[in-house]
Amino acid sequence: MYKIFLHHQLLEFWRGRNKASGIITKVLMIFIILYFLLVAIGLGFFMKSFLTKLFPGKDPVLVFNGFILYYFLADFLMRVQLQELPTLSVKPYLTVNLSKKTIIKFLNLRSFFTFFNLLPIFIFLPFVFISIAPISGSLSAMAYTLIVLSLAIFNNFLILYIKRKAGSNGFIILFGVAAMLILAALDYFNIISISHISGLLFSYISHHPLWSLIFILLPVSIVGINSKYLRNNLYLEEISKKEVAKVSTDYPFLNRFGHTGRLVALELKLILRHKRSKSALTMSFLFVLYGLLFYKKQLIDKNSFGSLLFAAIFMTGIFQIVYGQFMYAWQSSHFDGLLTSPVTAKDFLRAKFLMFTLAATLVTMVTFFYGFISWKLILLHLCVYLYNIGFGTVIVLYFACYNRKRLDLTKAASFNWQGVGASQWLLGIPLLLMPFLIYLPFGIYDLPFWGIISIGLFGLITLAMREIWLNLLTRLFIKQRYKIAEGFREH
Amino acid sequence: MLIEIKNLKKIYNQKTVVDIPSLSINEGELIGLVGNNGAGKTTLFRLFLNLIRADDGVVLSKGNDVSKDDNWKSYTGSYLDEGFLIDYLTPEEYFQFIAEINNISQSTLVERIKPFKEIFNDEVLNKGKYIRDLSKGNKNKVGIAAAMLIQPELLILDEPFANLDPTTQIRLKKLISEIKARDVTIIISSHDLNHVTEVCDRIILLEKGIVIKDSEKTEGTLKELENYFTV
Repeated sequence: MYKIFLHHQLLEFWRGRNKASGIITKVLMIFIILYFLLVAIGLGFFMKSFLTKLFPGKDPVLVFNGFILYYFLADFLMRVQLQELPTLSVKPYLTVNLSKKTIIKFLNLRSFFTFFNLLPIFIFLPFVFISIAPISGSLSAMAYTLIVLSLAIFNNFLILYIKRKAGSNGFIILFGVAAMLILAALDYFNIISISHISGLLFSYISHHPLWSLIFILLPVSIVGINSKYLRNNLYLEEISKKEVAKVSTDYPFLNRFGHTGRLVALELKLILRHKRSKSALTMSFLFVLYGLLFYKKQLIDKNSFGSLLFAAIFMTGIFQIVYGQFMYAWQSSHFDGLLTSPVTAKDFLRAKFLMFTLAATLVTMVTFFYGFISWKLILLHLCVYLYNIGFGTVIVLYFACYNRKRLDLTKAASFNWQGVGASQWLLGIPLLLMPFLIYLPFGIYDLPFWGIISIGLFGLITLAMREIWLNLLTRLFIKQRYKIAEGFREH
Repeated sequence: MLIEIKNLKKIYNQKTVVDIPSLSINEGELIGLVGNNGAGKTTLFRLFLNLIRADDGVVLSKGNDVSKDDNWKSYTGSYLDEGFLIDYLTPEEYFQFIAEINNISQSTLVERIKPFKEIFNDEVLNKGKYIRDLSKGNKNKVGIAAAMLIQPELLILDEPFANLDPTTQIRLKKLISEIKARDVTIIISSHDLNHVTEVCDRIILLEKGIVIKDSEKTEGTLKELENYFTV
């Protein structure tokens, strides 16, 4: 029976809607996952040298012990964000001759196959066997393994349980996250120390490995609770989320832009009412912190804007990159409706320009806090901002005219590659390369300020030419619209 | 003449799915388009609405080629499938949007929604749901209402009776007759021969993209069609 289920799952993966987005994307996805796993394995094998380097003079085993519970706390928060409920669409199986027990067992089994369950194995076990086994003996190594696996499985099913429960009560998930955050905060302010507890626990276990057997209770009980919940709630209406009453909203601010503004309001609702687009928005704001990684003091002091450029473009233009790359596919489900409505192609495109401009302006204003680091960064962001709204928008909308992949908005946000095609990858090249090309000659002759000002000027000129771009894009859009619409109609 | 088709052809993978040398539709006609699955009804509708590119020939609406000139949009109301609905809006927001882009004022909108109250049967408006959460039948109602709200001169509906309960079907037929009385040109398709022969006054029968029968409705039309479809 499980074989049939697994077979169906495989078929679903390979035959999934949108066949075209197919193999290349899937292979790429597999590569990315492999990459992360490789990093994890590397981390695992070189853990000892990492730990001795990071915490010189401390016993790496003790540091490691202190770190384990921490990891699972972070793991929990990461899973809340990213792990999805196993998507065996239960519906067709409920009415055929299969016991609920079988379906539930399969659902449980299926949920093991997630990237998040592999990570801890690769991160922790190499160190356990390389460094701990020789010191404390193989029995304690086994004990470590047992606990790591137990905790991983516990987290796995706890998340699923919370997410299933939260299907009927949105507060539970908030509550769970809040509890974890409070724990993290308590640790941060040294009120209770998780690393201390973790250290104590694992030192004890390494001496009394048999006690680790207690940890088996964790996964066993959570799997039990989960299965019981599923057994009682395996009904269609209860698996799917309970509805909250939806309200109509209006954005009076946008009405002053006429039809264009109305289209922006429409798209704003689209963004706010779908998980996938909403995550593009949250990402835009999270990426504002990107500069903290990139902006090194010596780079700023030396005015090496070339090295800062990438982060700056990315931060100020993030929305048009992450949201714009799927343009106009966000509207693929009602594209026919738009084409038959009296909205003109020009208004349609003008609305996109307006939306990108508003978004970039907002994000750029947020990034001005980098001014506390250096005033130069504000100048840099302003210039790059002009580039983004002047030229970046044109590039994004140009590529959008060649994107014919339907986007299924009802699907989840993370690790979702549905609707990804070649145009998404190509888009980044001119968008990110252009400012470097402009900057390059100035960089070579050591005129960094002239370099970024040229980028800004370039942006300003292209911005002034917007009406021309608009006409060109309108013509292209009208030419392409049949193909776009045809692609969007294909499920 | 409101719509004129000249030499219209649409080919998919070397298979001709629509092939109509000439067809005209006059103002105020109520036309029923019938034919089995794959006869080309929806394709023909999409050609009317410039949603697909014709491989040959033109569709003229009021004398203008629909693929060259967007003027038809201002007087054409249409609902083919759920792809016309912006499903993440509430029905109220959707009607509001349609009204705004057609320059219909708020008060006129309220006025024009009224006749649909009966059809909506309290299941569409103010239910706190997005369109995507409505049942198929109710989505259908939203789409049809939106197409009619703009008081079009030409109304195109694909399978308007599908997924509707019997009461609503009867109400919709009544509504269509009322609209027709205002001299609106209406083209509908349906698999239900009874509905089509009841409301429409001209029947066009398609088979594999070709018009094989085009005639005014008479007493014997229903019988004739039934004979055609009985294999």
